[in-house]
Amino acid sequence: MNPSKLTVVLSQAQGQHPVRRHLEENLASALLLEHGIDVSVIPHLYDLTEDHTGMLFLRSITGDIVVLSWLYPRAAHWMLDRHGVKGKPGEARLAGGEEEEEEEEEVGPASEDTEAIGDEEKPKPIEAADVPDRYIYTLDLRQQDRPEPYLEEIRRIAAECLGRRKNTLSEGHSASRAGEMKPRGFIARESIAGPAASRGNGRPGSEQLLATPARRRWYPVIDFSRCTNCMECIDFCLFGVYGVDAKDRILVENPDNCKKGCPACSRVCPEHAIIFPEYKTPAIAGANLGSISGLKIDLTRFFGGDDALSLAAKERDRELVRDGRSAVGLTAGIPKRQGARNKEGPRDELDQLMDKLDKLDL
Amino acid sequence: MSECLTFQMGKYEARFPADLFYTRNHMWMRTEGRRLVFGLTAYAVRLLKDVYFLDWQTSAPVEVERGQEIGSIESSKALSSIFAPVQGTLLRFNDDLLSDPSAISIDPYGAGWLFEMEGDASVALRPEDYVKFLDAGWEATQRALKKQVQGS
Ligand code: SF4
Ligand code: SF4
Repeated sequence: MNPSKLTVVLSQAQGQHPVRRHLEENLASALLLEHGIDVSVIPHLYDLTEDHTGMLFLRSITGDIVVLSWLYPRAAHWMLDRHGVKGKPGEARLAGGEEEEEEEEEVGPASEDTEAIGDEEKPKPIEAADVPDRYIYTLDLRQQDRPEPYLEEIRRIAAECLGRRKNTLSEGHSASRAGEMKPRGFIARESIAGPAASRGNGRPGSEQLLATPARRRWYPVIDFSRCTNCMECIDFCLFGVYGVDAKDRILVENPDNCKKGCPACSRVCPEHAIIFPEYKTPAIAGANLGSISGLKIDLTRFFGGDDALSLAAKERDRELVRDGRSAVGLTAGIPKRQGARNKEGPRDELDQLMDKLDKLDL
Repeated sequence: MSECLTFQMGKYEARFPADLFYTRNHMWMRTEGRRLVFGLTAYAVRLLKDVYFLDWQTSAPVEVERGQEIGSIESSKALSSIFAPVQGTLLRFNDDLLSDPSAISIDPYGAGWLFEMEGDASVALRPEDYVKFLDAGWEATQRALKKQVQGS
């Protein structure tokens, strides 16, 4: 494939939302006219199954990709990862988008507090496995209602990718980047999807790409930049959704066993690593806390009367009963470490906390 | 609403009218005959601050279980689901808030009322017990909040 070309994949909204369709159509036709860009349209990413033409196509792309979807960028990224469409997360700079770097700086330096909280040896995220040396940019189509900002951003990304390729070619392997991430080989994904879509004229037709998925799906998506492989989710879920891979890494093994509308296990995950992209609250749907509209703290566990855990247990019970099984309440698969957290912690923390919150308030 | 109890949240002093009842999910409750009126306490509002979005998942009247999720609320820096404070019938939502929920922040004990119910009020706390409850949960709350502020 031509490495100087950037592939842009536009993933449509579910249903026939006229406003969304309009933006999609405008964007797609404008992108067709751009130089150095290949554009394809696929159905809603979340609903695609392993063997959908759209997914096969995505897997056949070996270069940098921009994916436009009606999903939070983080949700889209890890959804792709789960389907073997792997790459380093490209940093999008869409206006109204995420400016998390700065936020992190602001909150970060309070390292004395971090110790005080008692987060001693905080387990490390396991990160994505086998990530090839290419970038995937995920843009959220809900961030802007006109095509122009997206076009501008895609042009910027195209230039960035081109520049990076040139650098890599002249410097050999970019050692600085490789240092911070584990070395990894390009997993033989091309071999799976290669024949289906060898680029050029062997590419699937747009009707094939757009074939309506059989149904709407509902399943958890794991963010491996957060997940520490603690296995709480696999213990908690009593529907066999989770499993582990050959290297004992947590995995959403049977996504379609998951119960539609239920986000229970995301509340149990201590790292907030489990995303339900179609859930109504942004935090669970994959919005970055501390991004988009400033810092969003999820207060649900304080306002619930119940803590997140009891809520999750209730949601799970509801699904168990629906399946004709008996409710288990808090007796099965409940994290044991939860209790241990409720100790010590200096008294004057809130002043600092509130100050920080106020500082973040624009 | 003459007397108030207070609770110190950092530098902020949250006030709780002594003639209201309170629930553990940070709502106040006023009894008007058999009707129970609910709203968010100053404590909840302090955590949320400028509420700009409110949404109910059901339409009234409707039977609800205590702790059932009935809506969601969002401010510029926080969001939460809203849960039924008691078991019973939810009679009416404060529709004025749907177009402009700012009254929740500005006048939490007045124009910012959320909904009316009829039901089992026995779980409600007296103001002094609510303050005790806040006090007991305070450290854990701070820690949990902080964890989120620092991101995961
Ligand atoms: S509970 Fe969360 S952190 Fe633990 S294994 Fe599951 S996704 Fe990963
Ligand atoms: S939402 Fe429920 S069914 Fe689905 S994975 Fe989580 S616990 Fe299992």
